Amino acid sequence: MTAIQPLIEVCDLGMRYTTGRQALQGASFAVQPGELAVILGANGSGKSTMMRIIAGMTKPTTGLVKLAGQDITTMNGRQLAEARMALGMVFQHANLIKRRSVIANVVCGTLGRHRNIFTAFGGLPAQEFGHGMRCLEHVGLSKFAYQRASTLSGGQAQRASIARALAQRPRALLADEPVASLDPEAAEEVMRLLRRLAKEDGMAVLAVLHQPDLARRYGDRLLGLRKGIIAFADAPANVTDGEIDSLYEGFHPA
Amino acid sequence: MSSESAVALRADSSAVRPVVTRFGAVLRIGILVVLGLILVQAIYVVQARPQDLITGVSGMKDLISRAMPPDYADFPNELWPALETIDIAIFGTFFAVALALPLAVLAAHNTTPARPVYYVVRALIAVFRSVPDLVWALLFVTAVGLGPFAGALAITINSMGMLGRLLAEVIEDMDMGPMDALASTGAGRLQVFSHAVVPSVLPSLMGITLYQLDANIRSSVVLGFVGAGGIGFQLLTAMNLFQYPDVALLIMMMFVIVIGAERMSAALRKRVA
Repeated sequence: MTAIQPLIEVCDLGMRYTTGRQALQGASFAVQPGELAVILGANGSGKSTMMRIIAGMTKPTTGLVKLAGQDITTMNGRQLAEARMALGMVFQHANLIKRRSVIANVVCGTLGRHRNIFTAFGGLPAQEFGHGMRCLEHVGLSKFAYQRASTLSGGQAQRASIARALAQRPRALLADEPVASLDPEAAEEVMRLLRRLAKEDGMAVLAVLHQPDLARRYGDRLLGLRKGIIAFADAPANVTDGEIDSLYEGFHPA
Repeated sequence: MSSESAVALRADSSAVRPVVTRFGAVLRIGILVVLGLILVQAIYVVQARPQDLITGVSGMKDLISRAMPPDYADFPNELWPALETIDIAIFGTFFAVALALPLAVLAAHNTTPARPVYYVVRALIAVFRSVPDLVWALLFVTAVGLGPFAGALAITINSMGMLGRLLAEVIEDMDMGPMDALASTGAGRLQVFSHAVVPSVLPSLMGITLYQLDANIRSSVVLGFVGAGGIGFQLLTAMNLFQYPDVALLIMMMFVIVIGAERMSAALRKRVA
């Protein structure tokens, strides 16, 4: 077995809501270790549905999702939670607990593997602080470790939230519009970090982006989603501006 | 063009305005009449007699003259009941917070595990809160007998209602992002609660608790009137025995306790915020 196993694999994914709306149809793709793939698509194209299914929050009507080789669509409860640990999540907002220190926020990312009375009542696993510091160092924030999370700037907060996702020790990252609420400079910073995590640490990164130019510059592969169907999936060089524009036809840029 | 439309507008408004104004005036007079009637019936029902106020002055004077000077010699005997009053409030506030926090989580629509649970707990909180603590004290005196424990239980139940509602609102106003983020890392329900919910609501929780402690000390002063211990019970006894100098001392002590609690609560709340 020399073939590299994809860390995120989506096969023939379909989703029809009880309202009858077909949100996704026959979507298939895979993200390899070391790859940063970007999903582009207008509002209502099925991006959010796709993200929810990959994150294990919604069950698809057809198809399957494999995280590090395990199909999570048939899992539930504890088993799902454990398989999900291979996947770190980054949201549009940093979602830090503002009153706690940055390092405490990062160590919170390890709670899933330390389920006991102590952590259930607000304790943080002491043995994880070293690991938490390394995660913070990795995103370049170690000197802010003991500050309150509320003192971080938007870009720093988002990087701290990535450190929290890393503390979980995932092999893949799912980033849902990670730079949508950041200024351009901070957005570049966060994108550089995501790219580095893919290139240097061999993680599979799947990001939803709204900015085609960022997607072009940082993505290894662009996945265009239109009306629940994958319209294109190729390296940025092979995707024309026209193809990207076609995703947003009938939509005005916000 | 513009002058034409202005004329049209004016003609239009002159046609409509008087009707609106007349209707508005009638409505305003109607509301005033109704408010006046409500006030008149209230004066009638409470049997207000201004002349009684005037004759009452001499009665008040008599009472005060018989109460002066306050019976300071009795002060040491009243210290224990005063401590009881304060401790009833401390006990009640502490256990009310401990019990209201889980109730509030069940009664906030964003954290409740299920709709029916939400409605049941909300109803429970409404009952705790809407029945006054004096009535709870009456019930508990019957259940556990005369004494401060009945008062402490009454304060606990009533405060649970107050705190439960306020805390549920604080939780409902909370940013859900950190909770979702922690849940996504694989943290369990209780971990999400203690690591994301508690730190976010802690400042509000402390402020509300201190305020409630202040309110509880005020209530616990009067709980003694129904036999639930503390300084209120001493006041009731002194009144019944016509020991007015004692009454004067007790009222002064109540004043100090209530104002002291209010000041301390306000000062601590300022620190927390």
